[in-house]
Amino acid sequence: MKRNKKFWSALLLLLCCLAFAIYTRLMPEDAKAPTGANDTPFSDETGQTGKNEDADSLNRPGGASTLPNQTNASSLSLEDIPAYTGEPYVILQDNLPAFTEEDLTEASFEIYNDLDHLGRCTSAYANVGIDLMPTEKRGSISQVKPTGWQSTTYDIVDGKYLYNRCHLIGYQLSGENANERNLITGTRYLNIEGMLPFENMVADYVKETENHVLYRVTPIFEENNLVASGVQIEAYSVEDKGEGICFHVFAYNVQPGITIDYSTGRSSLTQTKDSDSEQTIEGEIRGNSRSKIYHCPGQAAYEDMAESKNLVIFETEQDAIDAGYRRAHK
Amino acid sequence: MIIIACIDDHNGMMFHKRRQSQDRLLREDMLRQCAGKKLYMNAYSHSLFLKDASLTREAPTEIIAAEDFFLLAGEEDFCFLETMNGFLAAAEATPSLLEQVQGVILYRWNRTYPADTYFSFDLAEDRWILTKQKEFAGSSHERITRETYQRKKGSLS
Repeated sequence: MKRNKKFWSALLLLLCCLAFAIYTRLMPEDAKAPTGANDTPFSDETGQTGKNEDADSLNRPGGASTLPNQTNASSLSLEDIPAYTGEPYVILQDNLPAFTEEDLTEASFEIYNDLDHLGRCTSAYANVGIDLMPTEKRGSISQVKPTGWQSTTYDIVDGKYLYNRCHLIGYQLSGENANERNLITGTRYLNIEGMLPFENMVADYVKETENHVLYRVTPIFEENNLVASGVQIEAYSVEDKGEGICFHVFAYNVQPGITIDYSTGRSSLTQTKDSDSEQTIEGEIRGNSRSKIYHCPGQAAYEDMAESKNLVIFETEQDAIDAGYRRAHK
Repeated sequence: MIIIACIDDHNGMMFHKRRQSQDRLLREDMLRQCAGKKLYMNAYSHSLFLKDASLTREAPTEIIAAEDFFLLAGEEDFCFLETMNGFLAAAEATPSLLEQVQGVILYRWNRTYPADTYFSFDLAEDRWILTKQKEFAGSSHERITRETYQRKKGSLS
């Protein structure tokens, strides 16, 4: 009788184990407990151990159920994004990021999601705090070759190199070096004109206030292209509920004057068509080297600029834009 | 009046109705520039200075918060503008407002931030002269440049 009881207990235990194994195998990925690299901000696999190992239990009310919803929060397709018209970034959804109240936490973290089946970056998400920021100079990242990487130079590109290894979460925000899940092939223009201003704003805000900023960058690829069309950037300051930082933009992965084949990363100088030259504004473009503003013929301050000691003349508007100038509003 | 503004490398001031940046040591410097005078600003800017009560004790400056503050400021008073919109609208209605500006203090962040609001006050050389320039480290900015401009005698905006 005793032996019989032992047998039934063992059988019951075995059945429980079997049922649990089947359950965990069949359950959808996003409903699993946060044990994988994609779900937990403090996983070893992210390469970010030691920075905030305690944070998960400190300031995340409700534990794993309050983890930010990565898949729903920032779903965006290229159809939602206006075509590039000369500005390095465009505002999305009234500049409101898709974070929810549940995402707000005063604990720093960083998540670098897995590469997709083509080896492309998917997204990176951080709660940037002063404790996450680097204390030393950036190390080498040249060993990482993001999808579509080409080492191509052009005289018209600042620094000559068309492509930079663009950090999704900028080094100045998270101190993340050569992480292949955080580096994409991005043009110099994307890096400097499109992303850096936002990184500067967030970094300086965090340094000044010691508050946290939720910061998520998602590269958007068209179909199977190896080079992203651009990156979606969302940010929201936590402690002051967005009073200091709140934006949602798309920065274009383009380079003025260069045509890019996004499926491979190959590129060439843009051919100027005759019809384009017909549309060119007649007359020189007058820039002010102090204000970095340029004026076109017919604009309010155009004639005054002729006598300015800060006058810089450009042949085309594009030349002025490439030199870091912006067009006068009037 | 003397207007004060903080701008980035492209003359930007704000993005999405928020200041591009802030710095405690910059505010300290600003209060020193205005010591003994009145410093006008709107309520949004005033909230920054409320954090710095100790600074106002060190460099006594009377801070006055009002929405149409540039209409209240006297000849020697200072006006801290974080956006040009209200000022330019008032100047359209009262053109003499521009002529009342006798000096400008610009703080340059020496950084590029996103911007949708720009400092558009025309500091053309034939009307304005750069009289002082000073660089200093802020509390969170490596290098801030303060530029002081004075209106040339007899020139109007």
